[in-house]
Amino acid sequence: MATPAEKRERGVAVDLRGVRKAYGDHVVLAGVDLAVHPGELLAIVGQSGTGKSVLLRQIVGLERPDAGRITVGGIELPRYLTMPPEKKPFRIAMVFQSAALLASLTVAENVSLRLRERREKTSAEIARITREALEHVDLAGTENKLPGELSGGMRKRVAIARALAVDPELILYDEPTADLDPLLTEEIGKLISRIRDRRGSTQMIVTHNLPLARAISDRIAVLAEGRIAECLAPAELAASRHPLTREFLRASALEPGSTSC
Amino acid sequence: MAVEAVGRSAPRVRPFARLGTGVLDVLQVLGEASRLFAATLRTVRFVPIDRQRVVAQMVRVGVDTLWIGALLSLFVGMVLVVQAAEQVENVTQEILGPIVGLSMTKELGPVLMAFLLAGRAGSAMAAELGSMTVYDEINALRTMDIDPVRFLVMPRFVAATIALPILILYADFIGVTGGAVVVAVDPAITIPVRSYFDRMLEWVHFSDFLVGLVKGTVFGMVASILPCTFGFRTRGGTEGIASATTSAVVWSFILILVFDFLIVRVTFAL
Repeated sequence: MATPAEKRERGVAVDLRGVRKAYGDHVVLAGVDLAVHPGELLAIVGQSGTGKSVLLRQIVGLERPDAGRITVGGIELPRYLTMPPEKKPFRIAMVFQSAALLASLTVAENVSLRLRERREKTSAEIARITREALEHVDLAGTENKLPGELSGGMRKRVAIARALAVDPELILYDEPTADLDPLLTEEIGKLISRIRDRRGSTQMIVTHNLPLARAISDRIAVLAEGRIAECLAPAELAASRHPLTREFLRASALEPGSTSC
Repeated sequence: MAVEAVGRSAPRVRPFARLGTGVLDVLQVLGEASRLFAATLRTVRFVPIDRQRVVAQMVRVGVDTLWIGALLSLFVGMVLVVQAAEQVENVTQEILGPIVGLSMTKELGPVLMAFLLAGRAGSAMAAELGSMTVYDEINALRTMDIDPVRFLVMPRFVAATIALPILILYADFIGVTGGAVVVAVDPAITIPVRSYFDRMLEWVHFSDFLVGLVKGTVFGMVASILPCTFGFRTRGGTEGIASATTSAVVWSFILILVFDFLIVRVTFAL
């Protein structure tokens, strides 16, 4: 069995240099510099509309930056994106805020979709991987349900299982706990931590939820005015002097002396 | 009051700017539809591998169109005989068969069934793909290295392109039968049913069916590519999906008629 250190090697590094993105006159990313280490769990926090989700969309290749450079696993992103799927040396998965499950497919069909489409594995292998992915997110037994029959938290977990089924070296989460109650949020947080400990994939999570980011991440990047304002370990958070970080701490009731009911 | 009237001046109407924007929008839709058409043609070679999805779409298109198509064709055939009988009363009712046969095979069958397909199956395609676009399902496919054109558009395109000519033959048959029923039961029509069919067979040739089938093939492409184009163009939430669905149907109707004219023009020139 691999040691945790060996498992962390399975993740890939992500490097962004001067990434810019604008929609018309509205500059969303104004030169983002960020380095994510292999196997690291990095949380990106920031106010709504500051471009956190846009940043993830650049990394996964759904949008192209106007300027700047993105490398994943040492490969320039445009080159990685044009590689045939079977030639790609690693896999990137994304968990969308809306879960983005295909409504007409069952849970098992959603989870195994990429594997079935690639036709590289036998039906028995695909069934095993699907079962294991669903067990990993504590959703064994839901294989034949449709997404519409699941709660919001379950849909998010199916989306995570779908990401895990492709055995990705990099997983991007866009607001995975949005619209979830605190208990479900904690559950998703534990699940993401478990993925880091068991599989060692690099994970980037965009969230408004500072307590969650503090509880599970290795580092927290604060995105403000289109740039990474600071990137620090959770333990350093309380000592931050950045106004946005302090505001977040106050609003999240993590700062000593903050008011509460 | 007068002061208010001065303060709240009416917005300036800029007809040329609006016209220009409208023309650009039209060109953009046509450009996107053409690109999607080309991308879809490149994935047609995967039909043998993806046959299950194609068959599933053909069943959906068929189920969506079959019964209402039968009803529509039946009544159109019946109305044609009643209307034509009135018009040719002083000439000869012997031409009722050719009128119904030629109208159904060359024009009414293809256009009616294409409208029906665009209105029912096409609107469903636009709404489904629109919803998938809005809720990031299409992006999820992209992140899984699954080509949305091959996965979603190609099966619908192939299904509509194959199903529509078959539905047209079916509509032709039902329409002609509807006409025969009226000939048989309407006391104002004096020719026997046998004569209705005999004259029809004299006038309607294989080439007439062929024109209908060519139209069906082209209309099937139009009635699937345009809804898929609008599905992919959808922005916003529920309102965006509704707007995309309406636009898809309207555009499909217009382009079906444009291609109808072009095909008629070309076949007459041959």
